[in-house]
Amino acid sequence: MTQYLRGIYDAVASALKGMRITAKHVVRKPVTLQYPDERWVLPARFKGFIINDTNLCDGCLRCAKVCPVDCIYIETMGKGKDRFMHRYAVDYNKCIWCGLCTEECPTFACQHSLDYDHALYDRRRLVYEFVDPKRPVPCHKERRLQMGYFVEQVAAAPPDPDRIAKAPRRADLPEAAPGAGGGEGGGA
Amino acid sequence: MQVMTDLFARVFGDGLSPLGLLIAGGLTMALIMALVMASCAIVFTWAERKVAGFIQSRYGPMRVGRWHGVLQPVADMVKILGKEDIVPQDADKPLFLLAPFVIFVGSLMAWAAIPFAPGFIAADLDLGLFYIFAVSSAATIGILMAGWASNNKWSLYGAARGAAQAVSYEIPLALACIPVVMITGSLNMNDIVIAQQGGIWRWHFLHDPFLFVAFLLYFVASIAEVNRGPFDLPETESELVAGYHTEYTGMRFAFFFLAEYANLFLVSCIATAVFLGGWQPLFGPVFLPGLVFVIKAVLLVLLQMWLRWTLPRLRVDQLMHVCWKVMVPLALVCVLGAGIWMLATGQAG
Repeated sequence: MTQYLRGIYDAVASALKGMRITAKHVVRKPVTLQYPDERWVLPARFKGFIINDTNLCDGCLRCAKVCPVDCIYIETMGKGKDRFMHRYAVDYNKCIWCGLCTEECPTFACQHSLDYDHALYDRRRLVYEFVDPKRPVPCHKERRLQMGYFVEQVAAAPPDPDRIAKAPRRADLPEAAPGAGGGEGGGA
Repeated sequence: MQVMTDLFARVFGDGLSPLGLLIAGGLTMALIMALVMASCAIVFTWAERKVAGFIQSRYGPMRVGRWHGVLQPVADMVKILGKEDIVPQDADKPLFLLAPFVIFVGSLMAWAAIPFAPGFIAADLDLGLFYIFAVSSAATIGILMAGWASNNKWSLYGAARGAAQAVSYEIPLALACIPVVMITGSLNMNDIVIAQQGGIWRWHFLHDPFLFVAFLLYFVASIAEVNRGPFDLPETESELVAGYHTEYTGMRFAFFFLAEYANLFLVSCIATAVFLGGWQPLFGPVFLPGLVFVIKAVLLVLLQMWLRWTLPRLRVDQLMHVCWKVMVPLALVCVLGAGIWMLATGQAG
C-alpha cells in the first residue's frame, strides 16, 4: 500500500518538477540564430570558400598539384619569361575544403575566406573563375617585377595570411563575411 | 440557442414560425460550432508549435506571416490540400473513407452542449453533461474503423490501443464529474455554470479538497481521452509511424488532425464549464462571458501543451495501471468524500 501511494506521489512530484524546468526554458532566450538576418561571428581561422588573390598568385601550380580532388583548374600559356596564367578556377563541386592549397601557397595568394553560404541553382556556376582572360597574370619573376605584381623574394614582408579574416566586415549585413575576395564568381 | 433564435426573431419579425426560428437558430449554431472547430485547428497548431519551440529553447515558426509565423497554419493547410489522396490497395474502402468523418462528427456533436455564454449554447439539454460523454464515445468507433480499414497491422495495433485507452479513461472522466453533479443537482450545463457564480471561491474546483482532486483527475483523464501528451501511445511517432492514421494522406489526414485539436479544445471547454466556473468571472458581475470562457479554456489547452512537451510517454501497461488502479479508485474516493462533505456542511437536501 505504501508503495502504491509512494508511486502516486512520485509521479505527481516528478511531473511538477519537469514542468518547472520546461517553464524555465520558456522564459529564457531561445538559442536559435535567425539565419539570414543574424549570423554567427566567425573565428578568424574559419575555413570558408577558397579565394585566390590574383595580384599575389604567380602560377606556381602548387595548389593544383596538392589538391586531393583536383578541383583547381589552372591554364597557362607561353614559356619562360613569357609565361602567363590565363585561367585560375576553383571547382566547388569537387572542393572538400581541406585547405591544403592554402597551406602550400608560397605567396599567400590562396586563402580561406569567411564565406559559407553560396547556395546556387546551377551547378555550373559553382566553378569560380579568378582570372580575367583578357588580363592574364604573368608567372616569371622578372615579368612580374616589370608589370608591378608582387614578387615574394623582393617583398619587404609577406602579406598577412589572416588579412582576409581581419578585413573589415560589410556594414549592411549583421555579421556577414567579406565578399569573394578579388575574384568573380562566374560561369565557366 | 436563445441568443440565435432571438436574433432571428428580431430580424424576421413574424415572418418565421416557431419551427422556422428553431431550425434557423439551430443551423446557425451548428455552423458556428463547425467554424469554431476549424479555427481551433488553425490556432492551436500554431500555438502548439510555438509552445513546443519555446520549451525547447528555440523559436518555432517565425517566417510565414509578419509576426512569429502566424500564417504558418494557412501554409500547412494549403500544403495538405495539395497532397495526393491515397487509398491502400486492399483497404476496406467504405470504412477507410468514412472513418475521419465519424471521428469529426463525434467531436462536433459534443460541441452542441458547451455553454459559451448565457443563452449561447447550441442545445440546452437537461442531460447536457451526460450527452457530452455519450457522444464523444462515438469517436472511438472512428478510431477502430481507421485502424482496421487501413489494412496495416501496425495501424490496427495503434487503433486497438487507442480504443482501449479511450474506453478505459472515460470512466474516471465521468466519475470525476459526479461530485459536481451532486452539488448542482443537475446535469444541465447552464445550471452547472450558474451554480458557480459569485467569484473564484464559488467555482467547483475550490469547493472542497475532494473536488480539487476530482478536477485534477478529470484533467488527466481528458488528456488521455484525446490521445495527447504522455498518453499518446496510439499515435507514437517513433513506434507506429502514426498509429491508426498512418495510411491517411492529404485532406483525410487533415480531418484527423482537426478532430484531435478540436477534441483538445472540447475537453478543456468541458473542464472550464464544469470545474472552473464557465463564463463566470474571477470576481464581480458577469462581464464579457464568452471571452472569459474562451480565455479559461485556452489556458487549460496551454497547460495540456506544457504537459505534453514535458513528460515522456507512458507505456501501454502503465497507461492501464494508471487508469484502473489509480484513477478509478481515486475518483470513487472523491465521489464518496464530496458526498460526505456535502452532508457535513449541510448542503445536502
